[in-house]
Amino acid sequence: MDAYFYIILVVGLLSTIICVAAGIMKKAPNDTTILSVAAVELSLVVYLVGSVVRVASGEQIAGEPWEFWGYLATALLLPIGAVYWAILERTRWSNFVLAAVGVTALVMAARMNQIWY
Amino acid sequence: MEEAENVSAKSSQDGTGTPAVSSPMTGPGEAGLPGARSTEAGTADTAPADTAAAPANTRNTGPGRLLIAVYAVFAISATARAGYQILTKFSEAPLAYLLSAFAAVVYVVATVSLAKPGRTAFKVSVVAVLVELVGVLVVGALSVFDSVNFPHETVWSLFGRGYGFIPLLLPILGLIWLYRRRPAPLKA
Repeated sequence: MDAYFYIILVVGLLSTIICVAAGIMKKAPNDTTILSVAAVELSLVVYLVGSVVRVASGEQIAGEPWEFWGYLATALLLPIGAVYWAILERTRWSNFVLAAVGVTALVMAARMNQIWY
Repeated sequence: MEEAENVSAKSSQDGTGTPAVSSPMTGPGEAGLPGARSTEAGTADTAPADTAAAPANTRNTGPGRLLIAVYAVFAISATARAGYQILTKFSEAPLAYLLSAFAAVVYVVATVSLAKPGRTAFKVSVVAVLVELVGVLVVGALSVFDSVNFPHETVWSLFGRGYGFIPLLLPILGLIWLYRRRPAPLKA
């Protein structure tokens, strides 16, 4: 597990906790929850940029490269989809949808780490 | 894409101006029930756009959205995983990987039918979720008791342990949700 994973671990868990708490408090998606998901997206972008740099500088991915990039591309789409959804229906339930992003990103980052090493 | 379809379908729900239901029998309350499904989203243009009056499809709002979102994540991951397994190592365990593909199809069907309004979509959802429940129970049990013949991973192996038992929980929650939001019986 590398630093990218731990960044996503922390940011993803924080985002999930914030969104679940907001959902339990019966709040509609607000700046806090949407920004927390945006932070997950940002940390995934950091992972993407870091991975591109590492591959460009000659590092080899141990597993299937296309599997790694597939995971990363899908993970990058999740926060965007969830936020889009949360904007379409502004109820407390959308906060639980947003909460799912952090955990999912975390699981996918763990899998990406396994593929890389 | 799907969202836009939902929205347009939803608005067409409200004006169920089909000849069958425009009889005096149907009060304003029944008009918007999910069962009264218009054939095409395009009929929304001819129907009166009265969005505030009757609740249209209620299966894809509130907790239903969360359910659809989780199903969508499973549909994507199961499809990707099955595709990967079949493309790279199908000969190792054809049965397990075909099961993976089957599970992926079930998740895709469940996701789409849960998101769609209408009576037909409701029935499709019930069937898909039931198949999912049977699948996770049977494959889960087989992977526990007959681990020699089921050594290869599928989404449903060991009752979905590799996925935090969500595959086991999901159809149960899905059935509860579908029961609570079942369409009203058809009026003659």
